[in-house]
Amino acid sequence: MKKLALSDDILMQIDKPARYIGNEFNSVKKNPADVDIRFAMCFPDVYEVGMSHLGIAILYDMLNKREDTYCERVYSPWPDLHNLMKERNIPLFALESQDAIRDFDFIGMTLQYEMCYTNILQILDLAQVSLLTAERKNDDPIVIVGGPCATNPEPIADFVDLVYVGEGETSYPKLLELYKEHKKAGFDRAAFLRAASKIPGIYVPSLYEVTYKESDSTIESFKPIYDDVPAVIERQVVKDMDSSSYPTKMLIPFVRAIQDRVVLEIQRGCIRGCRFCQAGMIYRPNREKSVDILKEQAKELLASTGHEEISLSSLSSSDYHALGELMDFLIDDCLSEGVNVSLPSLRIDAFSLDVMSKVQDVRKSSITFAPEAGSQRMRNVINKGLTVEDIIGGATLAFKGGWNKVKLYFMLGLPSETDEDMQAIPRLANDIAAAYYDTVPKEQRQGRCQITISTSFFVPKPFTPFQWAPMYEAGEYLRRAKVVNDEMKAQLNQKSLKYNWHHSDVTVLEGVFARGDRRLCPAILDAYKNGCFFDAWGDFFDFDKWLAAFEKNNISIDFYAYRQRDLDEILPWDFINCHVTKDFLKREWNNAMNAKVTPNCKMNCNGCGAGIIGSGVCHNAR
Amino acid sequence: MRVRVKFEKTGIMRYVGHLDLMRFFQKAVKRSELPIRYSEGFNPHQIMSFASPLGVGLTSVGEYMDIDLKSEVASVDGLSRLNENMVEGLAITSFKYLPDDAEKCMSAVTAASYVVTYKDTNDDACYIDNIADLKVKFFDEAHEINIVKKTKKGERELDLKPLIYRFNLEIVDGVPIYDLLLSSGSTDNIKPELVIKAFHEFIGLPEFDDLSLDIQRIDMFTGEPDSLISLGDIGDEH
Repeated sequence: MKKLALSDDILMQIDKPARYIGNEFNSVKKNPADVDIRFAMCFPDVYEVGMSHLGIAILYDMLNKREDTYCERVYSPWPDLHNLMKERNIPLFALESQDAIRDFDFIGMTLQYEMCYTNILQILDLAQVSLLTAERKNDDPIVIVGGPCATNPEPIADFVDLVYVGEGETSYPKLLELYKEHKKAGFDRAAFLRAASKIPGIYVPSLYEVTYKESDSTIESFKPIYDDVPAVIERQVVKDMDSSSYPTKMLIPFVRAIQDRVVLEIQRGCIRGCRFCQAGMIYRPNREKSVDILKEQAKELLASTGHEEISLSSLSSSDYHALGELMDFLIDDCLSEGVNVSLPSLRIDAFSLDVMSKVQDVRKSSITFAPEAGSQRMRNVINKGLTVEDIIGGATLAFKGGWNKVKLYFMLGLPSETDEDMQAIPRLANDIAAAYYDTVPKEQRQGRCQITISTSFFVPKPFTPFQWAPMYEAGEYLRRAKVVNDEMKAQLNQKSLKYNWHHSDVTVLEGVFARGDRRLCPAILDAYKNGCFFDAWGDFFDFDKWLAAFEKNNISIDFYAYRQRDLDEILPWDFINCHVTKDFLKREWNNAMNAKVTPNCKMNCNGCGAGIIGSGVCHNAR
Repeated sequence: MRVRVKFEKTGIMRYVGHLDLMRFFQKAVKRSELPIRYSEGFNPHQIMSFASPLGVGLTSVGEYMDIDLKSEVASVDGLSRLNENMVEGLAITSFKYLPDDAEKCMSAVTAASYVVTYKDTNDDACYIDNIADLKVKFFDEAHEINIVKKTKKGERELDLKPLIYRFNLEIVDGVPIYDLLLSSGSTDNIKPELVIKAFHEFIGLPEFDDLSLDIQRIDMFTGEPDSLISLGDIGDEH
């Protein structure tokens, strides 16, 4: 029997032991003695969440295609196992070999959301690796992080050795070759980190020095310590999606993952330019895969996994140039019995509804719109590019097509939002309900329609036109939710409406981390030491512990979250070049303040800066 | 046409629960491109059913799953195609076509056999000198073995004796090894842990931990206690 890191006695007393045994179909098995580099790829959240992440699947496959590298997976142990590992001094292990990852060459972690920052520390702590880069010894693993939050890695700068800024397909080969050279020559940690800083997209936080202004404690300067270390890190992007590495096999977890399906990435980036959306800015330019490659990949993935569902992944699927052709292929030629397609991120128009009616079970499913804001003024502020006619028209088409449940997503606390903008949310929902009663004759109705409104609280993110915007205190968010709720009760069709809103404490913390700097590191460390982890899980989130950690380290929430930043302030992430220029972001901020819409990238180039990449929508015929 | 697939679940696969195992098999059948039949209706699913679920922590060399095929596949072929889609700890050992009147494996099971031993050879039970004699008194010479069985609805008195069809004890290198054949299925489903617990109480070891046992299911049977047939003996290879 395969060796296991955990004893039978432990596996039999924890929840879902199959999370920790590896052995999944399509997992890669290598002899560690045959490779030069051992890489632990971690998703700092629980197995079911991490196993659903496409980025890890791509990198796992890509790194394991190299003969010299063995990439294995690690997820955050659930608190029940965490306690046992601490109690019995069991080092964190990788799923494939069950070997302790403190003996690996790299510990890589993907940062998908800010609330996983303490889970990074949990992984290092359980791995028995020093939490601080400054305390790591020559033979400790190199800790590297990547993912969307790596566009502002400063709040975790003290904990990581390297930050990979951009899409992993690009610079990993160079990094691994460099590591091999250094390993052969007798490894010197400092020399390796210094050399790595010269690889495009690699940021070494310890090689930079930050000074702050005494007057307002904003950044005065951010500079490399040595002349040969680059002052600006350029985000790395894949230029040609077709030749880029994509797995033909994907792991089949025993424990049901959140995404229990084939995920086919059809494009990266988004043409839309919503001003709150970080993904829409940092993944520029929009790059599509060719439809022929997608057809091949869909076929192979379904055959190699046995999944009964395939989901197309992108930020805005309706914008993919050949969606109709791809859907026809999937439905007519590719899907065997019992297999279906799911299509998230659709714009609701006649074409999308036609596609959805082919693939979706009309009676059961609800249809989702994300107008994000209730009033037209506010939708223009965020550049959602959606009119009330689009929304009501889309809903009417959906009702005609047999749907009677609609989910609506909105944000509260957007820049310049007034009470009137908030009240417009339930009014819009009411109008949609009215459209149902106007559209569907009484005898064809299956009861009332159900319009569900969900609001989340807006968090300003780096590299968006809203990166300078203030947030509100938790109480103010709740007041805003109440404005929506009160107005909902005044609606004619209120019996058809339902309203859910999110908690606000975690929003404030997310806001602090999103735009934080390296002065936050000691507070995150203290919070972890006081028991904070799995902060993304409501059950474990303890705001009071965070407030205590902030207070102890003189961290002002006001400074990081609530103040309006000056457009000329040096921001903690300004040393990263995401291709979208600051001039463009400022222009977009001003357009937002004037509620002026900017056309999408297929209609018109707005000179955001991403054209410099030399591929994607910027260079394709419009 | 219905096929009965026999398989082993051993080693690390003991930590994978029954529902997860079912999902694994649905995907494995799909990957092996067997012409499985789907249910009609709104949410089509593969027609597949398993005999009695095996608890987490137990291993087995005698598990069964029935599947409905739309067309015939040679047994050797079906067996090897499924095996190509297994992982360490799961192995297909037989692939047989069932007669039309065969009962579904799920409802057919009336008995199951087990080999039970101790995970830890330092277990107290391994140090009872006259354990073989005690076993004779507990089982062979007893007219009834009354226990209190805890169920979801509460507790009930139960006589185990008529539900234990075989209770053998062998001692290898000082470690007791039990060979059990127990009533199983939807009515009187007797878990091996329950029998060993009763025996422990009889021999004066009241502290009992289910997890101290290493339990392997050997096979499952259908029919009456005096004429049991292995589920794997029904049907033919085509």
